[in-house]
Amino acid sequence: MNPYTGTDFFSFFGVLFSRLFSWSSSIATDEIQLLVLIGVGLSSALIGTFLVLKQMTMLANSLSHTLLLGIVAAYLITGSGLVGSLGLTSLLIASLITALCTSLLTQFLTGSGKLQEDASIGIVFTTLFAIGVVLVTLFTRNAHIGTEMVMGNSDALHVDDIWLTYAVLLLNGALITLFFKEFKITAFDPGLARSSGISTNFFNYLLMILIALTAIVVFRAVGLVLVLAFFVGPPLIARELTHRLAPLLFISMGTAAVCALLSVALSRHVLTVYQAPFSTGAILVTLIGLFYFTLILIKRLYKRGLMKKSVSVTIPNN
Amino acid sequence: MNGNPSSALCINHLTVNYDTRSVLWDLSFEVPSGRFVGIIGPNGAGKSSLIKAVLNLVEPLSGSIEFFGKPFKEVSHRIAYVPQRSSVDWDFPITAFDLVLMGRYGKLGVLKWPRAADRAAARRALEMVGMDHLAHRQISQLSGGEQQRLFIARALLQEADIYFMDEPFIGVDMATEKAIVGLLDLLRKEGKTLFVVHHDLNTVEQYFDFLILLNTSLIATGATSEVFTPELIRRAYGKNFLIDEAARLSKNKTSGMR
Amino acid sequence: MLRYLTDPILQAPTIGCMLMCLSASLVGVLVFIRKRSLIGEALSHAAYPGVVLTALFFALFFPEQQEALPFAFLVGAFLSALGGLFLIDWLQRVAKIKNDAALSLVLALFFGVGILIASRMQITHALFYQQIQVFLYGQAATMLDVHVIIYALLAMVTVCTTFLLYRLLLIVNFDREFATVTKIWVKGIDAIFFFLLVLSIVIGIRSVGVVLMSGMLIVPAAAARFFARGLASFFCISAFFGLISGFLGNYLSVELPRFYGLSLSLPTGPMILLSSVLIFLFALFFSKERGLVRRYVRIFRFKQQCLTDNVLKALWKRGEGAEVALTELQGFSWRLTILLRKLRYQGWVVSAKPGHYRLSADGWLRALRIVRLHRLWEVYLVTHLGQGKDRVHRNAEEIEHILTPELEQELTELLQDPKQDPHDQPIPGRPEVR
Repeated sequence: MNPYTGTDFFSFFGVLFSRLFSWSSSIATDEIQLLVLIGVGLSSALIGTFLVLKQMTMLANSLSHTLLLGIVAAYLITGSGLVGSLGLTSLLIASLITALCTSLLTQFLTGSGKLQEDASIGIVFTTLFAIGVVLVTLFTRNAHIGTEMVMGNSDALHVDDIWLTYAVLLLNGALITLFFKEFKITAFDPGLARSSGISTNFFNYLLMILIALTAIVVFRAVGLVLVLAFFVGPPLIARELTHRLAPLLFISMGTAAVCALLSVALSRHVLTVYQAPFSTGAILVTLIGLFYFTLILIKRLYKRGLMKKSVSVTIPNN
Repeated sequence: MNGNPSSALCINHLTVNYDTRSVLWDLSFEVPSGRFVGIIGPNGAGKSSLIKAVLNLVEPLSGSIEFFGKPFKEVSHRIAYVPQRSSVDWDFPITAFDLVLMGRYGKLGVLKWPRAADRAAARRALEMVGMDHLAHRQISQLSGGEQQRLFIARALLQEADIYFMDEPFIGVDMATEKAIVGLLDLLRKEGKTLFVVHHDLNTVEQYFDFLILLNTSLIATGATSEVFTPELIRRAYGKNFLIDEAARLSKNKTSGMR
Repeated sequence: MLRYLTDPILQAPTIGCMLMCLSASLVGVLVFIRKRSLIGEALSHAAYPGVVLTALFFALFFPEQQEALPFAFLVGAFLSALGGLFLIDWLQRVAKIKNDAALSLVLALFFGVGILIASRMQITHALFYQQIQVFLYGQAATMLDVHVIIYALLAMVTVCTTFLLYRLLLIVNFDREFATVTKIWVKGIDAIFFFLLVLSIVIGIRSVGVVLMSGMLIVPAAAARFFARGLASFFCISAFFGLISGFLGNYLSVELPRFYGLSLSLPTGPMILLSSVLIFLFALFFSKERGLVRRYVRIFRFKQQCLTDNVLKALWKRGEGAEVALTELQGFSWRLTILLRKLRYQGWVVSAKPGHYRLSADGWLRALRIVRLHRLWEVYLVTHLGQGKDRVHRNAEEIEHILTPELEQELTELLQDPKQDPHDQPIPGRPEVR
């Protein structure tokens, strides 16, 4: 029995806290969702910050589509991963294939094909995704799988997914920390990086693999729709609040975690109070959007407020 | 010509080919060390391409490049690069101090964090360019001249023997330009070799003692007094139709285009 | 296959698909030229919530009005995509976000909101939900004649606008500065471009789907690029490719599963896209001017030409009428043996004794010409570019193979028909060569 059934927004947190401190033996579906979403949120925000700074967000969009073919390829190699849980090896294979295919094909089109870059990226990701959709539909004999992939299915999450999510988070965190200054310099000034002997190619590829890795985990948790939002939204929110790199990373990770928490609670609330099941992933995206625009609005009003104050100060009082 | 340790830069039959206008064609020259070298030529002459090819930022089609007789990979720690200011996103969330400290990243190697000595050196470099009071300012809040001085400070931190600078004086006021040139002169007096892509013919004779004059192919290299003559300038800045045509045909033939 | 055009049931979806892809591939040319394919991606996803909200609106207030729904979808999608466009602009101008981040944010948020509402309607208004989800990957099969007429009209709007404004589009897209100087209303043309973009996306998503729409904008245009000579032919060829893709995609989405004995049908979007990609691949490899296959053939032929030139030159150096043993030639290998046999067959060399070759009369003239070009170029490099005479040989070795007769003429005039090269060797004169 799911202890969260029938809870509304506030009692959700009540149940959550009490279960946290009682360490009950079995984990509830809502909690699995929560842990996975927080995990992928943290990973995405971490990687996403660098993507936003490097202006590579559309590459994340591209990879979020091509990863489907990577998953299919991993499935063909290892025999698992298409439906049900994804093992760590399958995940790694899938990410590698994704990153490799995308970059090699794009380079082929821009290099030998002499095609302009934006067109190359567009052609590569739409083609690979189209092939992926066709293959998955044929393999699973499910005509609606395309739709399910877009919308995701948070209720089908499994305990194993939690381990996977946090393994990926650990990997991301470790690599970013280890190579922090390399990521910083290749993002800011790739020319200096290369001429200092730092291989921009290596770090770009590494970043691409991390994007693919994270995106696949997000994708399996909440579908295509959330991947890009999670990479881009929290960093942009954080950017409004700070001008320094380390705080930027931490605030975007924090924002992602908070939004994940709130969205699971909201999803349960709406289900309980209005008997209306909504896609948790979609709620998350909407929350991120709301946060962002509210923040911008507040900032603008605040600025206008400040300006009004300064104007009234300069007008002499008679 | 090969492996001569006393020449700062030795280039042999360098050809660089993109799909954009800039092409470098069969360049060969040698520059002795300790010079303050100006790289001049009209727009699209390939000046930036030369720097990029030399610094391993683009793949040349053919030719060899040597610094003190060695290839780039062996001596990259002795070379500093000051790119064009526009090549960097100044909205990036770092401070002036962070930017200057990046000059040490190459030397530190992977997995190492900047040490106290590196930070002290960064502070000293900022003092030398007169920017120590702005050390913790966000780079987006700096003026063009201040940004350029930051780049110089960063280059100083690289503790190199050869410095390459790509159009450092664009959009910079005269006072800052003079200040920077003063700093560069100090470097030269220490025996460093400086290469500067320069756009303003009026100040060439004042600043540089050695010139590389190019327009797709090499027009001339040598002491400023010998190279900076009306005849050679005209040759460089005039239209070299035949060379351009030949270069274009050559590129087409090697890539199979008609 | 033809029954897809004639059978009254299959007719509507097929022709509908073709027309939708026509307008997409037409506008795609403009997107391609302006290098804005990423904005197509953002806007197509931004159209989705419009479709969903329209369905919701109808489900709540007019649940009986099913006939009006397809047209309402068009309006909803249009308004939504337009909203996305303005938001992208606002984010860049006012919120000071970089272009790629603005596109990604709008894409993700709009799409997310659409999915949010759609996920609810999956349970509450299942029939409407099915109509919405068609727009994800496209499904032409349920189109009726009346839909085709509306889409045809809209596609005609696209075609006519492109046709009427052709001249202006040409100038504005290829030479913006000139256009501004001649007081053409550049902002107006830009606005029309965005209008056409949103329109063609809205038309196209019924058959290609939101997720893959941006591909349909670029791929036919990218394929047409390999064949086009000017803007007009670019438009026509791209439109033609779009038509074929629409037809093939629709056809394959029905026939392919049938071929594999499966009872499901594939969504039309991926099949249309993959059809156009096939055309693109064909263009990439086999097109006459820029196709890869042709290019590699040309490179190979050029290499052979250079090799031949060099061999003939080597023979020439031995002196007039000299018989040279194959084994004495530098770089002797079995490849050289084959080459010389081929040259003999072509008439450039003659072989009196086995294993020995000498230049024929034609071969002599050809070698002379190469030498002439080589030495002329060396003179040019030394006198006009101030290069040292010990440096020029290598470059001339390369250029001697590519100088055209026109360039030779220019060189001769420029250098005033020199008789000696920088190494004091005689330059073969023009009458000798002719």
